[in-house]
Amino acid sequence: MDSAAAGLDFAVIGHQDSWQNISGFINNMRSAEQEKLSAGKIESIYSFIPPRDIFRIKVRSATGAEINGVYIETFIDPNKLDASFARSNISKVMNAVAWAKKMGAGIVALGGFTSIVLEGNLGSFAEGSTKFTTGNTLTAAYIVKALEKAALKMGLALETANVLIIGATGDIGTACVQYLKNRIGQLLLCARNLSRLEKLANKLLEEKLAVRYTVLPNELVPEADIIICVASTTGMQLANLKKNVLICDAGYPKNIENSTGDSNGSFLFHGGMGQVSGGYHFNPDYTKSMYHYEAPFVVHGCVLEAIVLAFEKRFENYSAGKGNIAIDMIDEMYAMSMKHGIDTAPFYNAKGLL
Amino acid sequence: MEALKNPVMNIETFNVISDVFSQAITGELIGMSNFASLAETIDDPHEKMEAVEHANSERMHAEGFMQYAKKAKLNINMNLTGPYWGNVRKQFLSYAGKKDFIACLIIQEVMLESFAVSMYTDVGTALGGEAGELFLSIAEEEKEHLEHSSDLLRADLKKDPPAFNNKFEELHFNCMTILAEFTATTDLKGHCGVCNGECMKGSMHHIGLDISTMRGNALALYAQSLDNIGIPGEKSIVWIAQLPA
Repeated sequence: MDSAAAGLDFAVIGHQDSWQNISGFINNMRSAEQEKLSAGKIESIYSFIPPRDIFRIKVRSATGAEINGVYIETFIDPNKLDASFARSNISKVMNAVAWAKKMGAGIVALGGFTSIVLEGNLGSFAEGSTKFTTGNTLTAAYIVKALEKAALKMGLALETANVLIIGATGDIGTACVQYLKNRIGQLLLCARNLSRLEKLANKLLEEKLAVRYTVLPNELVPEADIIICVASTTGMQLANLKKNVLICDAGYPKNIENSTGDSNGSFLFHGGMGQVSGGYHFNPDYTKSMYHYEAPFVVHGCVLEAIVLAFEKRFENYSAGKGNIAIDMIDEMYAMSMKHGIDTAPFYNAKGLL
Repeated sequence: MEALKNPVMNIETFNVISDVFSQAITGELIGMSNFASLAETIDDPHEKMEAVEHANSERMHAEGFMQYAKKAKLNINMNLTGPYWGNVRKQFLSYAGKKDFIACLIIQEVMLESFAVSMYTDVGTALGGEAGELFLSIAEEEKEHLEHSSDLLRADLKKDPPAFNNKFEELHFNCMTILAEFTATTDLKGHCGVCNGECMKGSMHHIGLDISTMRGNALALYAQSLDNIGIPGEKSIVWIAQLPA
């Protein structure tokens, strides 16, 4: 592994979000002559596998530069992402972190659920030459920049709009609040933890900003012109949406569009995603089973943050902790991303490109 | 010999424990035979002595299990030529015949010991008491074999990584396929010839275990063993994904 890992600019630690994806991904590794394994058989083994690198990634910048990375799978059970499995999941993530360090990666993105270890436990990441980032800064940047583009497309005036942020007290939610607070009409905040929500709202009220908040999203949904969802929650049902509401769904799992449908001319897109104009290449190439977007080279913002930092040779724990993403960081990260030909992904949702 | 003061045990539990001991004794005898054959492949007198010593250690493990089984009056069935144990032994002998010391080490010390350490640990924890302690102490000793072989194999990999990986891949598909079939939720190649009655895998719940978890833990330890040796993760995941299940 050591010799093969030479020149490893970045690594991505991640997990699969459905058994359907895992089934495709594992069966894609089996030879053509072998029978496909049933989902049940895969489920009985998958989450026992210790974290390891699965494929190499080569990414090209618009500047012509190329960098090399690797994807490290945590093998976390997608049905066990809730708090009751936190201990075993964190242990898996920490093993993946050790694997990335062993491989000598310059910078590591902790994608999806795995970012929680870097949001809460900075001490473990202070030592060593491998640096880590949650990637939340670029994810937040892609959310707000895509929102600005979508508002322009819809003829929606941001400066007078009521913007509801569901998941407002999380790291990405707070970053969106900071970026948008002086650019919009009114902030409508929603989060599960009331005391954290009150703390955030009071801080904004001290800044003389127009803010309202609730733990029940549907209390504020009817007033929202724009909705940003960055919550990790299941079974969310939004009711009484305004006509022509603009919705950015950047939470996991994706479930808002099930409840909103096509009603009232709403425009719903999946946010926090970027597109690499220079392209990338996987080796072995598992894109057939792992890539599900209709447009080419679409990638999660959190992954792209590590890639952009690697292109810039900025090997530092850029996004770490919770509530530390400032507006200048969002601007800086987005500018660096654009320099390398990486911008917000084309608008799409579960039905395809919009 | 003093008979064991058994706690009240129902027939299902008794049968599963008998089968578990039968498998363990058979496995240890296979290990003993493999190490004895391994000694034949080695030219260095010190390494030859070490192999014989390992064979003796496996013999003592088998004897330890047999002694307990006798005290507990378990029904023990030993069969070294059944479809799974016998085929693993055949594979081993084919490499021993070629005096391929590294291949023999990989089969016995990495593949078989990973499964032994993991499964003995699971069984020992579940059984508790004297039987549990016996399994756990033997698991500890087998763990030392696994660690010792990893040192040797790491050094061999460094000499020529592609050749080493190719050899390991061949052995994985020749031997791990047999172990994967053996430990699948249903015996993919029929009855093992060791269990007294029907396959014990459907009855493991009588001692608080299930074969899916045991197999998962064993494959996890095997994967970690490959990591310790230095097999790239992107290779080991494909090898594991291609095993029968």
